[in-house]
Amino acid sequence: MENEITELKNYKLSFHGKGKAYFGIVIVNWLLTVITLGFYYPWAKARNLQFLYGSTALDNDRFTFHGTGKEMFIGFIKAIIIFGVIFGMFFLFMYLEMPALALILFYFAIIAILPVAIHGSYRYRFSRTSWRGIRFGYRGDRSELFVSFFKWIFFSIITLGIYGCWMEMKLRGYLMNHVRAGNVEFNYRGKGSEYFILNLKGYLLSLITLGIYSFWWYKDLFAYYVDNLSLQKEGQQINMKSIATAGGFFKIIMGNLLIVIFTLGFGYAWAVTRTMNFIVSNIKLEGDMDLNTILQTEDDYNDATGDDMTGFLDINFIM
Amino acid sequence: MIRTSGKYFDGISSRPQDIEIILDETNAGLRFGILSEHSDFWAIADISFEHIGNSLEIRNRHHSLALLKVNDEVFATAFIAFLKANGQLTWYHHILQLGIKAYISIAVLILGFIVAGYLFIIPLVAEKAVMLIPQHYDISMGHTFYKQYVNDNKVDSAKSEALNLFANQLQLNNSIKLHFTVIDSPTVNAFSLPDGNIIVFTGLIHLMNDYDELAGLIGHEVSHVNNRHSMKMLCRNLSGYLFISAVLSDVNGIMAIIGDNVHNLQSLSYSRQFERQADEQGTQLMVLNGINPKGMTDLFTRLKSSETVVIPGFISSHPITTDRIVDINRLIQRTPHKFHKNSKLEELFRHVKK
Repeated sequence: MENEITELKNYKLSFHGKGKAYFGIVIVNWLLTVITLGFYYPWAKARNLQFLYGSTALDNDRFTFHGTGKEMFIGFIKAIIIFGVIFGMFFLFMYLEMPALALILFYFAIIAILPVAIHGSYRYRFSRTSWRGIRFGYRGDRSELFVSFFKWIFFSIITLGIYGCWMEMKLRGYLMNHVRAGNVEFNYRGKGSEYFILNLKGYLLSLITLGIYSFWWYKDLFAYYVDNLSLQKEGQQINMKSIATAGGFFKIIMGNLLIVIFTLGFGYAWAVTRTMNFIVSNIKLEGDMDLNTILQTEDDYNDATGDDMTGFLDINFIM
Repeated sequence: MIRTSGKYFDGISSRPQDIEIILDETNAGLRFGILSEHSDFWAIADISFEHIGNSLEIRNRHHSLALLKVNDEVFATAFIAFLKANGQLTWYHHILQLGIKAYISIAVLILGFIVAGYLFIIPLVAEKAVMLIPQHYDISMGHTFYKQYVNDNKVDSAKSEALNLFANQLQLNNSIKLHFTVIDSPTVNAFSLPDGNIIVFTGLIHLMNDYDELAGLIGHEVSHVNNRHSMKMLCRNLSGYLFISAVLSDVNGIMAIIGDNVHNLQSLSYSRQFERQADEQGTQLMVLNGINPKGMTDLFTRLKSSETVVIPGFISSHPITTDRIVDINRLIQRTPHKFHKNSKLEELFRHVKK
């Protein structure tokens, strides 16, 4: 298809999930998880993601999460075994009265698991995501991420955490730059130095203003993430821009807090759909890409172990 | 045959193709294609669908990425009804169609089960678990605490000795060896450790007027030891806490905090329950030893009137309430008892109080 249109187009990102519908999913998940003594958890997670992805649309076409409870269950079991081995080693060395070795090995194993889990999680989640029948994909290299990760952790430790800002940007950059949707490539160009200054400013001003500034800090962090993200395909591109305001963050955070407290937690579903709606409706997409010409490029991939490991480590790393 | 227009994505490119879709009831499937050439056919047995809002998305398990999209409520309703009539709806679709009232009932039901489990099953299981824990755990736990405590506080050894002699005069139905320690402190308090160590502060002793009050205190504390209340408390608290965090932590942080506070209140009521049991059995021990059980109520009445300082342990988490005293009085009336003056105890009491 010829494409000579150079003027910029706007693309509409929208969230259609209703709290009431999500409440049904959350409650059914909860019920089945309780009845099955937790074994339903992987299926619950899949249902949850299917709803949230399926409720998000780009140009009125919804995203789809293809992951199944069965895949996640296998991943869940593998993750349990991996953690079992790590904890087993820890208790073995504690039993042998070598607590120092036990601790060192334990921390080393947890740090070593992180990049593997993040890689696996990205690989699985994106390969299981599609839009208009086009699969997403993550093409990062596990060993490369593993080596870089240890390097970043090392620098973060010797700089007493200051390097953490650089680490976060490098990690996000590495991950996002290897994400694609068919032949559309993602690009993240956030810099550690800018991110550090942003956080330093946010931290100090929040301290001085007794936390009031934190809403502006959230706004800046969100904008820094979104504004540095773009999509590219054959010279065409889409740029993202955050239009979220500090007032918006105040409303969403305080509103959710009140909803959850006054409904004794049952309003959780509404809090999530509100948040999703807030995030999605505050990202503006603008560019010259023709969304009708994206081509399928990625293969199928169905190992969910990484996704479950990030779940156990309590890091929600996706996007 | 219902027909509608929709979009088809072939799973090769993102280009939407405008198509016409026909629900073919006789052949049990969907027929679709560009314009009037309905060349493609998907059998309903191969179909999965999602119906979110007013958008119906249909997939075929043989072409997992190909996608049919319809925004037509009339068609969607007919399509779902047809699948239902042919038994193609999964149990999950059925559940999702239950509606908000059913969900709220489910939520209330789960909550009910959790509350019931927490209030009735957990204490029961915890108590049974205590039976399985060998008593030497109680002993080593209490011992560690005792060593530390005695190290940090001033022990009055003369009074401790007299108090031990006093207790030796009594039949206390104890299964493990008891040992009493008097700590020199104005604190009006006393507590027992799971290893049979019982700590009494001089502040409390000074308040007593008669040996039967001291016997009441001993009876109360010994009952805690005899019933392994410390270990029971520990097991209940721990299992209750695990239960709450397991159930609520996945919901969200705020709920976990609310849960924790509810749990603290609940554990306070456990401890009240244990206090009542100790009051009761302590009084019975006094009767058994031929001591006037009124000493117990005298002690409590005195403590109640002197309750000015807030202190943990024997008193503050379970204040001497009027109904606690009333309960003991009722028990005394119910229990046939005889008592006589015990000059040996009186003598030892003077030594303890000196």
